[in-house]
Amino acid sequence: MNKKFRIGWLPLATGLTLLTPFAYVQADENLLNYVTGVETQPKGTWEFYQWITQRKDKGIGRYEAWDYETELEYGFTDRLAGAIYLKGQSIDTQDILIDNYIPKDERYSYTPSGIQVALKYNFLSPIKDGIGVAMYIEPSWSWKDPHSGQDKRSLSLETKLLLQKNFLDDTLVWLGNLGLESTYARRKPIDDLPAGFEWVTDPEMELELTAATGISYRIAANWYAGVELLYQSEFETEVNQERKSLFGGPTLHYGARKWWWTLTWFPQIRGGGEEYPGQTDTDLHLIEKTKQEVRLKVGFNLF
Amino acid sequence: MKRQGYEHWLWLPAIVAPAVMPATAYAVQYLSIAQAQQALFPGATQFAAIKLTLSSEQKRAVEKAAGVRVRNLALSAWRVSSGSQPLGWFMLDEVLGKHEYITYAVALSADGTVRNIEILDYRESHGGQVRDAKWRAQFGGKGAGAPLKLDEDITNISGATLSCKHIADGVRRMLATYEVALK
Repeated sequence: MNKKFRIGWLPLATGLTLLTPFAYVQADENLLNYVTGVETQPKGTWEFYQWITQRKDKGIGRYEAWDYETELEYGFTDRLAGAIYLKGQSIDTQDILIDNYIPKDERYSYTPSGIQVALKYNFLSPIKDGIGVAMYIEPSWSWKDPHSGQDKRSLSLETKLLLQKNFLDDTLVWLGNLGLESTYARRKPIDDLPAGFEWVTDPEMELELTAATGISYRIAANWYAGVELLYQSEFETEVNQERKSLFGGPTLHYGARKWWWTLTWFPQIRGGGEEYPGQTDTDLHLIEKTKQEVRLKVGFNLF
Repeated sequence: MKRQGYEHWLWLPAIVAPAVMPATAYAVQYLSIAQAQQALFPGATQFAAIKLTLSSEQKRAVEKAAGVRVRNLALSAWRVSSGSQPLGWFMLDEVLGKHEYITYAVALSADGTVRNIEILDYRESHGGQVRDAKWRAQFGGKGAGAPLKLDEDITNISGATLSCKHIADGVRRMLATYEVALK
């Protein structure tokens, strides 16, 4: 068992609870978890985010992975914000062997897995310009494969066009994103693989197109309820489209004066492309994705 | 074997505890109604409360003139005078902030133009600058038909665009309400 180090979640959670009354202001509040809004952090202010995502169930064996992103965002101007993320993951996969994807059982707790930075520039405000438009660019570097949990060096660059339209006195918000991510990756060799198991360690290039949309409605003071959809299509240089998936589900958002949280249940609705041998859910993409995702994001403004 | 992953749900206390705290614990009341009345009409001797509910016809007329929805048909207004001299109207209203309502008051002169506005309750994290005298003074002299639009005749406050827009919309709605129901 590749056990790295374990963070004491209870002290962390308790610390956040105690911190809450003293946390200060919030701005770039995420009404949805998988679709990004166009607002940026106001000039000179900081915001702290903690993301936690559970991915579960590949239809065989046991698969449960958790992704963590700890993010700090700063407003350089009222239109330009930058962020830095520390990514981490934990995984528990048993009795699943898929050539080139899942080479062996793996189980470990929180392990740092990558870092990324992001820049977001707001061109138009949905509140005063009728429609909101922003651009988002995010280079990242990771050293763990989030799907197998194995060592894999990846360098990615993601760019996104962000759109937002508000309705009904800004109580109903529509968000739309179009994104392109290019990734250069190389797996690390594994010594103790089963005989005949394929585990390619040559460098690979991958392109991923993303389209996401969602709406969120203010159902009461401080509370929003919404729904969001995420379509992803992956291309590899030699095999054209490899995989596609559509996830969608409901989102609940709570925003107070000083902090907020957003929770999304995000099952895979449709998928296709590569399948593992014996896959019974043939209308899903399960080679890398899972049947279920749940994401919780919490944001606190610091200064 | 102990199942991995249970510790993640220990995040829940961090989420649930603050969520159940009453949001109003953070409410800041800057002025009471009486204080706002005195601030906007320092020489007034009488504030006569007027109880009025807009009819559906009046509501449509206000919405058409102001270009914004009327959420509350009940109107809180006071006729203001100094002795026998009418000074104008004091109107109390609420608009949506990012999370909660912003309570503000509009003072109209006897000719129906804005004397000034005051913010009574502001519960948002950003945009406390809407209380600044300079920002509020932009509304002075505005009458029915004034645009009251951000970046046109009302300056925006970065980080508080939504509050600025909703207050400007609210004042435009109050001016239309005066024309339809009080004039």
